[in-house]
Amino acid sequence: MVAIKIERLTKKFGDFTALSDVSLDVQPEEFVTLLGPSGCGKTTLLKLISGFLEPSEGRIQMGGTDVTHIPPEKRDTALCFQSYALFPHLTVRENLEFGPRQKKVPVSERKARIDDVSEKLDLTAQLEKLPNQLSGGQQQRVSLGRALAMRPSVILFDEPLSNLDAKLRDQVRIEIRRIQKEYGLTAIYVTHDQAEALAMSDRIVVLNDGRVEQVDSPELLYHAPKTKFVADFIGDANIFPGTIVGQKGDNIFQVETTIGTIEVETPTAPASKNVNLCWRPESAVIGNIGITAKVVHRAFQGHFTDLMVETNGTIFRVQAKRVEAQEGDDIQLSVSPNEVILLDQNA
Amino acid sequence: MTVQRVNKILLIALLSVCAIWLIIPFTMAVLWSLVDPSEPWTADKVLPPVMSLFRWTDMWENSSLKSALIASYTLAPSAAVLSLLLALPTAFALGRISFPGRELAKMLCLLPLVVPPFITAIFFTSLLFQIGLSSWRPGAILFAHSVLFMPFAIRILTVSFEQVRQDHIDAARDLGASHWARFKVAYLPALKPGIFATLLIVFIQSIEEFAIAFIVGSPDVVTIPTLLYSALGQDYVRPNAAVLSLILVVPNVLLMLILERLLRSANPTLSSGKG
Repeated sequence: MVAIKIERLTKKFGDFTALSDVSLDVQPEEFVTLLGPSGCGKTTLLKLISGFLEPSEGRIQMGGTDVTHIPPEKRDTALCFQSYALFPHLTVRENLEFGPRQKKVPVSERKARIDDVSEKLDLTAQLEKLPNQLSGGQQQRVSLGRALAMRPSVILFDEPLSNLDAKLRDQVRIEIRRIQKEYGLTAIYVTHDQAEALAMSDRIVVLNDGRVEQVDSPELLYHAPKTKFVADFIGDANIFPGTIVGQKGDNIFQVETTIGTIEVETPTAPASKNVNLCWRPESAVIGNIGITAKVVHRAFQGHFTDLMVETNGTIFRVQAKRVEAQEGDDIQLSVSPNEVILLDQNA
Repeated sequence: MTVQRVNKILLIALLSVCAIWLIIPFTMAVLWSLVDPSEPWTADKVLPPVMSLFRWTDMWENSSLKSALIASYTLAPSAAVLSLLLALPTAFALGRISFPGRELAKMLCLLPLVVPPFITAIFFTSLLFQIGLSSWRPGAILFAHSVLFMPFAIRILTVSFEQVRQDHIDAARDLGASHWARFKVAYLPALKPGIFATLLIVFIQSIEEFAIAFIVGSPDVVTIPTLLYSALGQDYVRPNAAVLSLILVVPNVLLMLILERLLRSANPTLSSGKG
């Protein structure tokens, strides 16, 4: 049985369509991330799932029951807010206890839950403090703890890490994933940070302009983006329009682009002669005879060197571990056909 | 000149201003209140020649001071509470619901305050007579005060309602809170300072209000301002006025202490950026 079944969800605000025709199945204990730029509809989708908004069309089911018109206070979901939204006049303990108290959970059970949550989130020493006496990371954990104390079957995250500094973010990322696994929760996580999405998710839903672009595992999204938008949004990508000029064997096609002929390996033959190609900057092998390019910008990044190179007036990006070439030098590079991705033409 | 010297000079200046402002009038009032009727305090004497508490007992026993105190100190808190209750729905609408013309509505709410009080009082009184509310005079004054000072209440509470954070309301809701629980946990902490401020301001306004209390109330209902005006007007006797003003200082000092406490109890919603 699926944990959350979203069917053809559409949300309109007046004339503006925030979300259109979104369908998604989330499996129990799955960690699904909604990823996209601001205004893509990811927060709207989260609000529809949590119940703060009602869809214009479509249905949401949770654990087999239709919850489309059930208000948030009666849904088996718990939301972690971007702003944490801790009640400032209540102590950490009272904040954690707030949810179970509303649900009339018996005192002994309430105490057991708070002990459990505060131990797992390392908040035992902070229980009697007020939220404004805690650091950002601790407040974030209280917010997570408050959601966990509800013992929901679905936990929702609305960009929970955006107010933390980079180092803490990595740490909390791991913690959220650990807690989610420990409690066996189905999680929906909203972010605009692709690194966060890649690192945490079982599956990522890439949204753009209120529509689902692609739903796949992080690996597939990165290595086999279906659309130009996904290729560009997740990681760096060199995208070239081109025309098929020849075929080698069953599934290797030769494509003529502005930077020269590139070979692409694809299991399904493209529908039209005009295609869009995409490859990752680190897929290029420098030194192999193929495309000649001039280095226009070189940036050493530690574990790799980032080059902006130019061929026939087209600038693209190449990344490699050790690069001898300096700005102004000509280099030779090639890309293996199985590293080149054919994008959906219609997108 | 060093900073310390400047500070010292400023401190002395401040203290002397305070002295002129507070100590001299107070001393004078106390001295005047102790003047015995047997011998007047003339300008050639530093201290009153005969001092007694006669004026105090006399004023307390033989003037309408007691009834005025009772009337004012029942009227003012009632007006404050009534005004608060009447203003809450409007303030909620102005503070939390967005509708076209909201800013204009906020301004319109304040408009009654720019009309001179005596003019409002006269027209409001005729209104009270027309709707027949004047038969029960204390009630009429109470109603008039609650309505007249509502602009303050609406304005203050609107700001308070604006400060309620939507994510707190949403979080409470997400955690399963009922309407009442949501109000208690998300609204009330943010509204509290506004509620106190409203009560206090309407209370003070009502305690000080003369025009309506005079036009509607006299001669049956005497409030502190109407008593004061008459004591300072036709029946002006300086020692009696001194006694009256000193008695009236007591509740004011108490009020000030309460206000001080309220201002000091910082509101956590406002003091922490992230709550």
